[in-house]
Amino acid sequence: MLFNSYPFILLFLPIVLAGYFWLGRRSNLAPVIWLALASIAFYAIGSWQFVALLLLSIAFNYGVGHFLIAAKLTPPQRKAALALGVAGDLLVLGIFKYAGFATENVNALLGTHFAVHILLPVGISFYTFTQIAFLVDAYRGQVAAYALPHYALFVTYFPHLIAGPILHHKDMIPQFEREETKRPDGHLILCGVIIFAIGLFKKTCLADGIQPLVALAFEARSPSFDQAWCGALAYTFQLYFDFSGYSDMAIGISLMFGIFLPVNFNSPYKATGIIEFWRRWHMTLSQFLRDYLYIPLGGNRHGRVLRYVNLLITMLLGGLWHGAAWTFVVWGALHGAYLCVNHAFNALVPNVPALLARPVQIAGAVLTFLAVVVAWVFFRAESVTWALRVLHAMADPSNIVFGREEIAALVMIAVYAALVWLAPNTQAIMGYDHGNRRVGEALRAGRRRPLFLYGASLVLALGILGIQSHSEFIYFRF
Amino acid sequence: MRAAFTSLRRLLLTSIAFVLAAVVLTYVVDPLQLFRASRSAFYSDDTRVQNAGLIRSQSFDTTFMGTSLAIHFRQSDIDRALGVRSLKLAMTGSNSRQQAFVLEQAIARGARRVIWAMDDFIFVDASDIETDPYLSVDLYRRTPKGIASYLFSASMAKESLFALLRSVPPLQRPLTRAAPYLPVKFALADVDDIYALPRDFDVAREYNAKKTRAAFAYITSPVRSRFLGEGYGYQAMVRNFEQDAVSLIARYPDVTFDIYFPPYSILQFVAMRDASPGTLKIVTDVTAVIAERLTQRPNVRLHDFRAIKAVTHDLDNYGDVIHHSPVVDGMVLKWLASGEYRVDPKAPLVSLDQLKAQVEAYRVED
Repeated sequence: MLFNSYPFILLFLPIVLAGYFWLGRRSNLAPVIWLALASIAFYAIGSWQFVALLLLSIAFNYGVGHFLIAAKLTPPQRKAALALGVAGDLLVLGIFKYAGFATENVNALLGTHFAVHILLPVGISFYTFTQIAFLVDAYRGQVAAYALPHYALFVTYFPHLIAGPILHHKDMIPQFEREETKRPDGHLILCGVIIFAIGLFKKTCLADGIQPLVALAFEARSPSFDQAWCGALAYTFQLYFDFSGYSDMAIGISLMFGIFLPVNFNSPYKATGIIEFWRRWHMTLSQFLRDYLYIPLGGNRHGRVLRYVNLLITMLLGGLWHGAAWTFVVWGALHGAYLCVNHAFNALVPNVPALLARPVQIAGAVLTFLAVVVAWVFFRAESVTWALRVLHAMADPSNIVFGREEIAALVMIAVYAALVWLAPNTQAIMGYDHGNRRVGEALRAGRRRPLFLYGASLVLALGILGIQSHSEFIYFRF
Repeated sequence: MRAAFTSLRRLLLTSIAFVLAAVVLTYVVDPLQLFRASRSAFYSDDTRVQNAGLIRSQSFDTTFMGTSLAIHFRQSDIDRALGVRSLKLAMTGSNSRQQAFVLEQAIARGARRVIWAMDDFIFVDASDIETDPYLSVDLYRRTPKGIASYLFSASMAKESLFALLRSVPPLQRPLTRAAPYLPVKFALADVDDIYALPRDFDVAREYNAKKTRAAFAYITSPVRSRFLGEGYGYQAMVRNFEQDAVSLIARYPDVTFDIYFPPYSILQFVAMRDASPGTLKIVTDVTAVIAERLTQRPNVRLHDFRAIKAVTHDLDNYGDVIHHSPVVDGMVLKWLASGEYRVDPKAPLVSLDQLKAQVEAYRVED
């Protein structure tokens, strides 16, 4: 089921909200079970064939986790239990996500003709990662024993299930356990609706609105210089508004239930360096990769060279996490290389003279944005060859069309660029503070003008009017 | 707490009011002319949507259908050459099911003659029109669902708002001139300009032998040549032809169908000959069936332009291996008017045999 669909907005969400708060008047556990069941139903609509896999995954990880938490095990036994859990998760992910890719490469290398056709279960990358984090923390002794309904809800919680944000059990389960969240809070519902409206507008009007321009670069056989740039920039903005729109909607929906989700985007294209970019883009994935991959690999604890190696490995695997294709591997490798260059630069030039600080910052922002756009070309292209063709066109200013279509595209891209660089982001507009569980304090205190509410109404109306018959989120396929 | 719920109620009610205002705006302005024709209307290149409005708002006796090969024709040129009042409904990348559906809508609105540029590849993949995500049958049929999708649309509301602004006298001229360069769909002031190339278009730059040969090299490259015959299947293509073309023609015996096989460059067939001979066989076999079946219909005049060597072997006429220049558009109209290349019902495969011989004999220059 899609957030940007009439059945979800007009039927599913109101029914689940009503049931949640109605049950909340009677019990603290029943709303949790209700929400978990609703989440499974949400997943089943459209992906019913993978519900069993999801439930098996929950049962397996809960079992291993419970074993690590409750059983009296020797350190080697604990290690073995963790290895079993993580290996089980990675095996399932490997089969469903990477078997086809591996077979293709074996065929290419050995000239064989093996064929593997396995459908990718929606959200598998997300729910596998959240559960691996749970197992690792259970192994480290950082997890209290959770009740099964709370754990099941933590994994299946429908606002995040399909495309994140990647949740952390320590953040979520205590919220599910709190009684206050089961009582309707008008302020949180109001803020949730406004954040949802902003996300819906980003998705249906902005991301879907610019999507046709992407074809200029990625569906043309030989795009010109301007077409290639327009297409690459259009995809850069489409992806941002699509994914951050989804994240906003997830945060908004969750807020209606009184649950605070972590922020996933913080104006990433305003970053002045690639390190900063990764602190602003898909933040929950960055945190996951840092805590459960980069640091266990050794992080920056074993000298500069190994730090760069660890960075590269982390980003390569991060790329592969997005999809089983060489384009994602190249994308990850590029970002790994960017991060190494950025760290090396910081080591070589620790202090920029005050006079040069501003120009260096601007140059950094421009360079970072261009580097990100180049990497997105690989992320979006059907193949590495295709990506190279687009990049070649972007580097060949001798071939320019600059016709009516290209000028119109450029005007549209300029509008999007202005929005990305000049407009405040959702959490700034709403004063969303995930850590302190606060949102919309200005609204609550009456410091916002009525015009703000009318603006939010317009955004919600446009978001609803922008709904097309079927427009999936880009991150659904990861 | 109560204040929050009051604000929430106000927000939701205001949203509903905005939605209704957008619906009213789109209904009143009606950029697609779905409800009423307008002399001050503007037109869009989004032909799958635009055609739904054109069929209802334009007066015509002849309709012109095809894919991207027919998209650049100008209605005014068709009218002049054939002495008709035409409506061009060609859609890029369209399949036979979409074309037949749109044609039937146009016939229901008064078309007595159909000119149909029939590419063989339109029969390759024709999915169910009722669930086609690219062409809304509900919009064409004006069902409640189709009307709702038109009125409850942010994109149409934006177009309506722009049209409204453009109708304000001081803004009329600057916005009309700027519209083609702005991200608005309904930007063309003249219906004749839909997908037509500008009058001052540099034909030689876009259509020349260099580009044609480059396209040939591209599609016959070993890494891509397998795509040449992708989806081609004799049985399915004949089935789609029967379902979409023959049954439409049979349902409207009083409508005259001028159907023609477009003049692709010889390299289109040579590419198949060299890189995918099986595909070439399917294409020639299917078009043989088409020729034999259509020439038997009393309301069909079939024209085959594929073997006109003077055109198809002159690679300067093409932008790639199939898309011909506007100069050839003019020739096509002339040939249609004269009937010079009309297929003889008694010998429907003569031109196809000529084509086969040409393909066999053609040698590609290095």
